[in-house]
Amino acid sequence: MLTVALDIVTTAALLFIISSGLLIVFGVMKIINFAHAAFVTVGAYATLVGARLGLPWILVLPLAFVTGAICGALTEAIIVRWLYRRPLDAILATWGLGIVIGQIVTLIFGREVQFVQAPITGTVDLLGVDYSAYRIVMIGAAVIVALVFTTLLNGTRLGLSTRAVIMNEMLAQGLGVDSSRVRLITFAIGSGLAALSGALITPLSSVDPNMGLPWLISAFMLVMVSGGSLMTLAVSSLMLGGLQVIVSTFVNPILGGLTIAICAAIVLRIRPEGFARA
Amino acid sequence: MISRALLVSLALVAASGSALAADPIKIGVPVGLSGANSVVAPSVVQSAELAVDEINAKGGVLGRQLTLDVADDASGAAGAQKAFDALVFQKKVNVLISMETSAARNAGLPIVARGKTPFIYTSFYEGRSCSPYLYVNAWVPEQQVPPIVDYFNKEKKATKYFLIGSDYAFGRGMLSFTKAYVEKTGGKVVGEEYLPMDGSDWTPIISKLKASGADAIITSTAGGAPNVTLTKQLRAAGVSLPYGNLAVDEGTAKSMGADAAGIYISASYVTGIDSPANKKFLAAMSKKFGADLKTPNDLSVPEYEGVYAYKAAVEKAGSTDSQKVLAALSEVSVEGPRGTIRMDKQRHAPLTMYLGQVQSDGSVKVIQSFPNVDPGAQCPPKS
Repeated sequence: MLTVALDIVTTAALLFIISSGLLIVFGVMKIINFAHAAFVTVGAYATLVGARLGLPWILVLPLAFVTGAICGALTEAIIVRWLYRRPLDAILATWGLGIVIGQIVTLIFGREVQFVQAPITGTVDLLGVDYSAYRIVMIGAAVIVALVFTTLLNGTRLGLSTRAVIMNEMLAQGLGVDSSRVRLITFAIGSGLAALSGALITPLSSVDPNMGLPWLISAFMLVMVSGGSLMTLAVSSLMLGGLQVIVSTFVNPILGGLTIAICAAIVLRIRPEGFARA
Repeated sequence: MISRALLVSLALVAASGSALAADPIKIGVPVGLSGANSVVAPSVVQSAELAVDEINAKGGVLGRQLTLDVADDASGAAGAQKAFDALVFQKKVNVLISMETSAARNAGLPIVARGKTPFIYTSFYEGRSCSPYLYVNAWVPEQQVPPIVDYFNKEKKATKYFLIGSDYAFGRGMLSFTKAYVEKTGGKVVGEEYLPMDGSDWTPIISKLKASGADAIITSTAGGAPNVTLTKQLRAAGVSLPYGNLAVDEGTAKSMGADAAGIYISASYVTGIDSPANKKFLAAMSKKFGADLKTPNDLSVPEYEGVYAYKAAVEKAGSTDSQKVLAALSEVSVEGPRGTIRMDKQRHAPLTMYLGQVQSDGSVKVIQSFPNVDPGAQCPPKS
């Protein structure tokens, strides 16, 4: 039973870390960034490069974040900026961009699976259960991500402008908020977070040009259901991720893989606003 | 005037006809350059290139040179349809020789039948694929599973097995055979779980494994990414049971490093086979590819032998005519790195199997060999 609980919490933590970048972009811009999966992949490859250069893990993570943020800023300035009034086109454009990034990664690193040595290996004994140490660390990582970005959003000038843009962009512009700068920074942060999550999953996953894709659908569904705040994203990660683990454990893992998508569809049918303002 | 034009064109046709006789023999290689098989595909292509180079250097086949047409099947059914279609109907290849996923093979077979093109399949697979155009020179479950299960039963005193696979034809086929074999030899299967091919989080399955009280694990995932994620997550969860992996090859094991150590594999080829033919093959491979050499493995060496089997069959048949070549393929034998291979058992081949264990430096140590294991009745004639 404890194992199932640990599986639920650590799976939710992973889902939260991977979805948070997508959520931040969606929250501010009302745009779903389908290149998110590609930025996850970019982060994992940044980790690979960092590991090959012999950087310590504590430097590899910022490297991944910065690489993702730079890619994100360029994407915003070159592609996404022109598509704010055309959200459907933005989905197409970012999906296409994801394919392009995947191919560029393939050209540079080859198609094959790469390996990054995990910084933490082995298991820890938690109340009599032997559990993967790295997955436990992921819970801490999710909490740190949540705290840092809640503080950023609620405790800084940038956060204030961002929230103003979210609530009423016209009014914010009227009050002198440079909304295009806010968007550039937000997109960069969201992409940086995606890359950071890519770095964080490398010890549990293989590194290959398509590694981000399996996560994209779950992340997309969670963001749709959570409706825009990090708090509700945490709630939906726990609930839907938990259901996924329960179905996988007690029914079968193939149905488990469908759980998030099906539950999200049901939730949105009953409550179009998802868990927001619940 | 008209008759002169006719004569000229007739002369042209005759000229092109004689040019055709010296045309190269085209070998189509549909292979998973992208997707799940992308880890192993480059080694398969290298094997084919070496075989073709060697044969061409000695004058080709029936005086004709061999050429290779490699097409990416994206490791799946949709990609395979495009790749087979292009190779069979546009490039008009004389034969297909390749290692592919089962999904890709199954998607390609109807196209092969329409084009009446011989197809030598060089990948181990779940067995019982019986197209009249298909020959297989790699192992089937009847050849691969018994060495591992017998060894676990006898040396590890295993009685409770847990089976984990990817949800596709090969994964399910291998494990359903494994289950039957474990039960036949007196063991018990305490769990059998699958994850979709693109799944990357094995956590709930690993938790079930730990709760099941199993004393041995046998896995059959898609090669490449799923195999890597499962092994990494098993190790991260501290699982140290005897672990037989039906889908790992030496190259992948080597790049996985410490995580792969201890895994048992059963294969018809390992680089450590101590025979002159294998040493000659390995030397030729490293001479041709140098630093770019992908470690030859159980999926790439049959490709090399497949090209030689086709050469022998064409020489025996005296032409590249599909029906004659197909008839000859069951009669010729090839002396290759894996020994003498003859696809005479219902279009499958008896093989010598090796049980190996991955060492901490990534090399595979042969623990036991099982000579001339029979593939069993793969395609019994319908009567």
